[in-house]
This record gives sequence, C-alpha cells and structure tokens, in this order.
Amino acid sequence: MKKPVVHITNFNLKFKDKSVLKDLCWTINSGENWLLSGESGNGKTSLAKAIANLIPSYGTIELNLNPLNNLVDGVHYVANWYQFKDLEGQANFYYQQRYHKQAATTTNSVSSELKHFGQQNSLEQDTLNPIVEALGFKSLLSATLIELSSGEHKKLQLIKALWLKPKLLILDLPYNGLDAASRKNLNLLLDQLVEDGAQLILISNEAEMPSSINRFARIEDGKLVASAAMQYVNNLTKIEKPLPAFFQEKQWSSTKSHLVKMIDVNVSYGNKKVLKNINWEVKAGEKWALQGPNGSGKSTLLSLICADHPQAFANNFYLFGNLRGSGESIWEIKERIGLISPELHWYFDPTATVWQSIVSGFYDSSGLFCDPGYTKRVQADELIHFFGLDDYKNTLMNQLPLGKQRLALLGRTIIKNPELLILDEPCQGLDQQQTFHFNKLIDELSKNGTTLIYVGHFESQLPDCIEKRIVLENGEVQVIENISNKNYVTRSEQSLCI
Amino acid sequence: MANYFNTLSLREKLNQLGVCDFMDSAEFLDGVNALKGKKLVIVGCGAQGLNQGLNLRDSGLDVSYTLRKEAIEGKRDSWKNATENNFKVGTYEELIPTADVVINLTPDKQHTAVVNAIMPLMKEGATLSYSHGFNIVEEGTQIRKDLTVIMVAPKCPGSEVRAEYVRGFGVPTLIAVHPENDPQGKGLAQAKAYCVGTGGHKAGVLKSSFVAEVKSDLMGEQTILCGLLQTGSILSFDKMVEKGIDKGYASKLVQYGVEVITEALKQGGITAMMDRLSNPAKIKAFEISEELKDIMRPLFQKHQDDIMSGEFSRIMMEDWANGDKNLLAWRAETGETAFEKTPAGDVKIGEQEYFDNYTLMVAFVRAGVELAFETMVQAGIKPESAYYESLHETPLIANTIARKKLFEMNRVISDTAEYGCYLFDQACKPLLADFMKKVDTDLVGKNFNEGKDGAVDNKTLIAVNHAIRNHEVEIIGAELRKAMTAMKTIKTA
Repeated sequence: MKKPVVHITNFNLKFKDKSVLKDLCWTINSGENWLLSGESGNGKTSLAKAIANLIPSYGTIELNLNPLNNLVDGVHYVANWYQFKDLEGQANFYYQQRYHKQAATTTNSVSSELKHFGQQNSLEQDTLNPIVEALGFKSLLSATLIELSSGEHKKLQLIKALWLKPKLLILDLPYNGLDAASRKNLNLLLDQLVEDGAQLILISNEAEMPSSINRFARIEDGKLVASAAMQYVNNLTKIEKPLPAFFQEKQWSSTKSHLVKMIDVNVSYGNKKVLKNINWEVKAGEKWALQGPNGSGKSTLLSLICADHPQAFANNFYLFGNLRGSGESIWEIKERIGLISPELHWYFDPTATVWQSIVSGFYDSSGLFCDPGYTKRVQADELIHFFGLDDYKNTLMNQLPLGKQRLALLGRTIIKNPELLILDEPCQGLDQQQTFHFNKLIDELSKNGTTLIYVGHFESQLPDCIEKRIVLENGEVQVIENISNKNYVTRSEQSLCI
Repeated sequence: MANYFNTLSLREKLNQLGVCDFMDSAEFLDGVNALKGKKLVIVGCGAQGLNQGLNLRDSGLDVSYTLRKEAIEGKRDSWKNATENNFKVGTYEELIPTADVVINLTPDKQHTAVVNAIMPLMKEGATLSYSHGFNIVEEGTQIRKDLTVIMVAPKCPGSEVRAEYVRGFGVPTLIAVHPENDPQGKGLAQAKAYCVGTGGHKAGVLKSSFVAEVKSDLMGEQTILCGLLQTGSILSFDKMVEKGIDKGYASKLVQYGVEVITEALKQGGITAMMDRLSNPAKIKAFEISEELKDIMRPLFQKHQDDIMSGEFSRIMMEDWANGDKNLLAWRAETGETAFEKTPAGDVKIGEQEYFDNYTLMVAFVRAGVELAFETMVQAGIKPESAYYESLHETPLIANTIARKKLFEMNRVISDTAEYGCYLFDQACKPLLADFMKKVDTDLVGKNFNEGKDGAVDNKTLIAVNHAIRNHEVEIIGAELRKAMTAMKTIKTA
C-alpha cells in the first residue's frame, strides 16, 4: 500500500497550561483534499504551521509528497495574516500610512515583488498573468506594497502560492476580505491546481470551497474528527449572558440630523481616481450596509469618515455637522466613532494585553497610555467577561490566535457605546457561532439609537438591523436604497454575496 | 556674526545651560489653544516637515508650506510631499507675510540662508520656530526684536513622530524659548501648544534652552551616538576578520548587533543591557568598559571643551566655507572601509547570540553612554538633558546603522553630526590601538561563555551590579523612561 502523503501521530499543543491539541492523529492519502473547520482558537493554525515546518512540532509528522508530478517540492502555507517589509528590510509601518503620500518610495512595487518571487523559485512569467487576471490584480501591479489594502495583500499571497504550484498547499482562511468574484475564481484556480497534481488543506468556516475538496474534518476536544461533509452549526445558540448594564446608560436620540454628509467627494492619487463624486448622507440612527467588490473604494470612503485620510481636507464634506478642516482635531471625531477594520487589527499594538486593548477603546489609541480610573476598569472587566475572555485578560495580543485577538478588538470597538459604529468586516477570523453572537450583539446595541455602517463581503453575515445600503463600484455610487427586513432575510438565505 | 554663547557672562552661560524642567502633563491642559486659528507656515517639507505638519493639521491647526521658488517650479520631492497630502504650498513671498508662526524645518546648514530670506518678510510680532538651536547659538544669528523665537524638537525621526501620533501617543520632545526674543511673553505657551499639536506632550516634554540643547546635542551626536558606534563597529569588524571569523557573519553581527543590544538599553537602560549577558560576561564587559572609559575620557573631554568654547563650530564652519573638503574626504573614507564593503552574510543570528557573541559592543555602549553623560554633566549640562542626548538617542542611531550601515547613516544624520562623528572617529581609532591588540574572539565573534563554567564570585558580581545600577544615568533614566514606556519597539534584525 502506498504511504500516506501526510501522516501525523500524537501531535500535542499547549497554550499556557491548557492543552489545545491532544495526541492528534491525521492521515492524508494521495488524492485527498481536506477542509478543516471548527471554532477559532482550537489549534488549526498551529497544526497547519507545523505541517509546513514553520514551527516546531510536538509529535511526529511524516511527509511523503508525490515524487512523480513535476510540481514544486514541499509544503507551502498561506497564512491568515501577512507581513511585508520596506526596501531597508524594516516592517515599521503604521496605521493608515498608505494614505499619506511621501515622494520617496520606501517599499517595492507589486510587480517587482512578484518578479523577485518568480526569480527565487525559477517560475515562468507567462504562467503568472492568468492568475493575476482571475483575481483582478492587474491594475495593482504598478502599486507599491504600502499602498495595498489588507484584502489586496491577502490576494498577493494567494497569487504567489498559485504561481508557485507546490505539491501540498495549505490555505489558512483564504477567503477573508475577498469579494464574491474573487472567491469564485480562487476556487476555480485551486481546482486547476489539484488537476495538475497538487493537494490542498483548506482551513475555513465558509460554505464556499473548491469542488476538489473531498475530505472534511473538525477539531474537537483536541482531536481530529473526520466527517462526510462540511458540518454547519445548525443550532446557533442565542446569547444567554445579558449585555453589561452600562451600555444602557447612554441613548442616542434619532434626531435625523446628518452625521456624515458628502457632497461630490473625490479622492485621487495622481491620475488614478479612487472615489468619484460621492454624494451620501448618513443620518443619526440609520443602519447602513456598505458594499462593493474589492478595490471599489469602500476602505477609502470609511477612512474619510474616521478622519484618517488627508484628502478629507480637499473635499466638501461634513462630519457630525462640521465641515471637515474647520479647526476640529481628528481625536474629537474619533471620540464619537467605534471602529473595527482589518487594517486597524493589522496595525494594532501587538504588545498590548487583552485588557489594555479593550480599555484603549475609551481613548481611540492603539495600546493604552494612561490610567483609566475605577469606572472604566470595572466596565472593561464586565465586557471581558461578556466576551468570554476572562482567561486571556493579561495575555499579550500577539500570543493569541487571530479569532481571540479579534474578539478583544471588537470589545474595544463597542466599549464606549459610541454614537457611530463603523464595522468593516468585523467578523474576519471568527467562527460561525461567534459571528452569530456578534451580530446579535450589534442588533441589541443598535437599539440605543446607535448609527451603524457595516461592511461584510458575505451578505449572510450581516446583522438583522441593517435597513439601508450603499453599493460602490469603481469608486462610484452604484446604488443607495432601503432594504426591508423581509427582503434581507430571503437574500441572506440565498447567501447572495457582493 | 558672533557665537551667541560666547557673548554671555559666565553667570548667564550657567543660567541658560541649566534650564531643564521635565514638565508635568498638567501643564498641557490648554491643548492647542495658543495656536488655534493662527496661521502656521512650515518652511521645508522633508521627513520632519511633512510629518509634523500632518500631526499639527490633524490636531485642528491651520498648516501650510512654503518652499523656495525652484523647489516649487521643479516640482521637487518637498513640493510633492506637501501638495499630494493636500496642503497649501506657496513661495516665501506669498506665505511668510501671512504667517503668525513660521516653523523652520530645513536642514541646519541652510538655516542662515533661510532665516535671512524669511525674516524681512515676517509680520510684526510673529513667531519663528526652530527644531535645533545651532543657528541661534553657534552662528549667532540675530532675530528681529519684535519676533518671538521658540524651539520644538521631537527627539525621534519624522516617520516616528507621525506613527506615534496616529496611534494616540507621541514622541519625547524638547522645547525652549530664546530669552533674547520673547517680547510678548507668549513663547512658552505657543511651544507647549505646538507640542500638543504633534502629540509630544503624551511622551514627556523637557523644557530646555537653545544653549543647553545645542551644547548637549553636539556632544552626544559626535561622541557616543555616531562617533563611538562608528569606531566600535569598524574595529570590531576588522578584529573578527583578522581572527578568521567568516566575513559575512562578522558583517551581519556588526550591522544588526548594535541595534539588538541597544533595544535593551532603550527599554531598561544600561542595567537591562548588561543583564542580557551571563554573569561572567557581564563582569568582563564591566571591566573592559571601565578600561575603555579611562582610555577615552580625555577625548570626550576635548570634544566637550571644543563645543563649549565654540572651537568645534568654528572649524566646522570653516570647512563649510571650504566646500566641505574634510567632510567629503572623510565620507569617502567611510565608504571604503571593509565593513562597508562586505555585505551581511545569509546566516541566522538569534537575538541572544547578538549579546553573547558581541560582548565587546556592550562594553563600548556602556563606556560611551556613561562617558558622554558624565562629561556633559561635569560641563554644566543638567542630567535630564544629558540623558536625552546620550542614552535616549543611541538606539535610534543603532537602528539607522542596521538599516543603512555607516556610510548611509552618516548621510542621513545632520551635517553637524556627520562632521563631528568623523572628527571623533579619526582621533579615537589610534587611541584604542593598544586596547584592541588584546581583544580576542571571545569578546567579538564567538560566544563568550563557551568553555566556561559560568561561576562568578559573589562579591565581585554584587559590586559590579551596584556600580551599573547606581550610575546617575540609570537613576535619571528610570524616571524619564516612565513617561515613554508605551513607545513601540523599533526592529530590523
């Protein structure tokens, strides 16, 4: 009998004193492509990294990759996180730096980054183009790395992996931040790769997957449990814990005054127009979904509202009733907004503890720089308990799995019970249960009269309270419309994705 | 123009050197109000200019940039920086007359020309802000009596001034008001408001004087910061090559080692840096750093004396007038050193290995920081000022060496720093010749602990720890670092 391609025996993993994986065994045979799902923080990423030999393994991992096919030998792992460096080899980038223009270029361009990767691995240039086309990356080739959004960095990693064609490809949450078209094309490209002889391990909780996936597993109680098909959590349990009482102390009145008013707003870099003549009003108490494919201008639009974009000063644009650039400080604006976004997470101080991160939401800072005093301390503790993070209170963010980090940052986002909540893909890295809980929490919070702007690529993952939507495409407003709750439900069942 | 410091009486010299007040955060409760609604015009849009301007604007202040006509017409980088971030840009003639505060963020060497061009255009009673006092103190530039002259100097590179602000913090900042130019008594209030505008008030603000800033800044940069790091790096590399250590390894150890070692210095002072060594290595590093201090003390004193007397700036300005003859020759020489020409090898060096295999650099850093600090304090500079210009800035220069090696490090620091660095390096190398003959690879290149059993004598260790921990730079450092603990770590290696 042929030896298995991957043979794992008695794999163990501990986090602090807690056992995460216990004597886990896994056999992957030739021709098998696995989907590994399950709740966040149960060891999936560590297991994947160990297979790719990126971290030391506590157990035996035997690899017998097919010597016959002519794919690149070895395992390639596409992380759920990404990292890039500037021309001097440093990675000291800061939040929203990509919106600040500096004449001197400090990072590589995408095309030279890819060229370098191709040379390193002796890849042929002409096999790259179809991949770049399929993932809609062509227009970004001339951009520099610092200018890319988090979703675009994710795509760049996927492009490299697909171009490399390794014998075993491990993808960790590959769909995060990808729009529907990109997800579909990614799956087609992965199927093609499998046809060429590669094998896949896909870590994901999404319903979408390449058709070549033929094995399914979850991690339960530290062990691998194989199943016949993707297991959906059918009975998502309701939150039993009540929302901490301090959230009811502040009610925002729906005066219908506008919090955001954009009049012919434009943002461009040189000749490239990122936003074109945007006219949009968000009134107090409204609940919006902001939608559009990757690169349509969503992040830029939100960066204007969050006072992170310098071109706000060149536009006719009101925030909380004041013309932008009329003497207000960005901290006065940020004080009224609770924000989560992939980039906020990526640039957040990794050396802050969970507790510090959550408390920093009171001050809109990345990391905590002052003593919050008694009341805020108590509120933070209540919220930590609500999110089930008690055990991790004093743990540094960079020691936690992505899902737990994200929960802490969601706590940071809501802790001050802000007037305006901006949730840009808030549930990235969360499992189905956590996503469900968080959206219910938003529904609950929104009863305080909170204004909401919500970005989610999976329409099935929007909270129920959403009542309006704005859709961008190529930097222009496509649609502004009301969505009734009923319509919304049918659509979410079809899982229509934008 | 006469050297300003030398025109002062001894009493006034000591008086101004002694201005040093680590400000309480309660002194900044008025926020940016003193500058609210005023027109701030920044001259120059390089790294400091752009990033400070972005912060000031984001704090609700009215910021625009003025550049020389050629820079605007030629659409140079400074013009691009300003316009692409949606700032108003204009010539001196267009913008200076409208300015309530003119912020001069051009390179030191251009100060005389810039100030001569803008001063006649400035409106009555306006304010002129500097980030370095060389022009006022050493060149002795006289500013119109109706104008207020202040200094706001963030003690970090421009990109960090921005990065820390964006995350809701700031960088340590030094402020000053020139006593000859504060006709309305508004200087301090404006400097404080400026500090709040750049976020500096959150990370510790030191009230200093133009004189104290210049005399300590010059001393720090030419001795420990640039001078000794350069000398130590070159000597270490050459020693390893002489002893047969792989060149690529030697190059990497030197390029990145100083950054890794001084990261510990930044977070916990000399104590933390020394504590990263094993006990025997710590005792050894202590002993050789004591020896190094004895050898180099006269050189440090000479540098301090020449800075105080104005001799240093006199010969440097002579070189400026001479088309930078010496500077360019020394710069070329640095570019030709074996270290500069040997690329870092493709070897992995672990974080601890940088300490264990580079004990010599730990000794150099301790000797240099303590000597610079002691020499400054003996010359009448207050410990807080001396701390900023020695220990605090060492990791910043080390980071620049990690990114760029020595040749480029010298090109990005100020002209005065570069000139002083070469001056020190030229004199220090021969001074250390005998010392270096005794150095072997256990101190540089190989693990000091190899083949040793780790045993130490209790009394020796206690005495060494006591000497390290109770040095004045450690006492004052612990105090000042409290205000900036939250600063991000910088790392390349």
